[in-house]
Amino acid sequence: MFKITKLVTFDPVASARDRAAIVAALQAAGASRAAACLVAPVLPGVYFGGDIIAHFQFENQAASRDFEALAASALALPAVSHIDSVEYAGGKGASSDPLPSGGVYRTLLLCVSPAAAPRQIEQFEAEMAMMPHYIPAIRNWQLSRTVRASGTQNWTHVWEQEYSGIEGLMGPYMMHPYHWARIDRWFDPEHPDWIVDPRICHTFCAFQKAII
Amino acid sequence: MANETIYMIDEIVTRPGHGRAFLDAYMKSYAPGAANRGLQLDRVLVSPPMWLEDQPNTITATWTVAGVPAWWAMTISGRTDPALAQWWADAGLWIAERKRSFASAASDVEALSDV
Repeated sequence: MFKITKLVTFDPVASARDRAAIVAALQAAGASRAAACLVAPVLPGVYFGGDIIAHFQFENQAASRDFEALAASALALPAVSHIDSVEYAGGKGASSDPLPSGGVYRTLLLCVSPAAAPRQIEQFEAEMAMMPHYIPAIRNWQLSRTVRASGTQNWTHVWEQEYSGIEGLMGPYMMHPYHWARIDRWFDPEHPDWIVDPRICHTFCAFQKAII
Repeated sequence: MANETIYMIDEIVTRPGHGRAFLDAYMKSYAPGAANRGLQLDRVLVSPPMWLEDQPNTITATWTVAGVPAWWAMTISGRTDPALAQWWADAGLWIAERKRSFASAASDVEALSDV
């Protein structure tokens, strides 16, 4: 699948009506052009995560082209103050759990330093892809390289996961030693292996139907 | 999981003859900030136990923090401080290579992994 994700931040003075209209316009754009979409308010605890996650999937990149104009129109309003956007072909992942009772979708936008060697990036990706092996609370996941990005950073990667509930993200994901004692070094400017800019977008929302 | 002791281990191989200068700088200008972020200095080892003039010393500094939530608080508090990364960049003057790792007592592995 080809995917587009937009983390939309509203102007703090934007009215509830304007916000709802933008969400509705994005949902309509997704319904008319995308194979699947998730447009939902973020949950408390995000870090530069925006106010809503707008995530869209297409059969291929060509199928996404009509969508971009619709999305741009929906978002070109004073009520929108900032957008972090990524476009990417889905990378390595697994999505075997349909999570029929719903759950939490989490996405991380990150920017690997242009100075990082290809070998380092491959090792980083390989270690990230092992997180679901060590942390079973990650039910579905995908790690992808972007083909286009905009916003605060030139985002290079998208790390998506689905959990059966928020406790999976806040508990096992954050507390497992494979995360903090192994993976996190890539994100730590103090660590000699550091390659990921500390300015990330960490965001999550509830879903009724799994989308990864 | 109940606030098991987490160890942060810095292993620094200095440039030849720079062991003492590195450790002085580490203790004077790095350690106070680390303590402010919640780390407690457990020990500093110097190998070999003398200051070599023409060869590298290996300095191993071990810090502790009580529990994973405190570990996250510690690391996040330093992440947005560009001075920290700059300290290590400047310390490259004395450093040939370095490693940082995080560890626990073997007896705590099962509890830390059971999350």
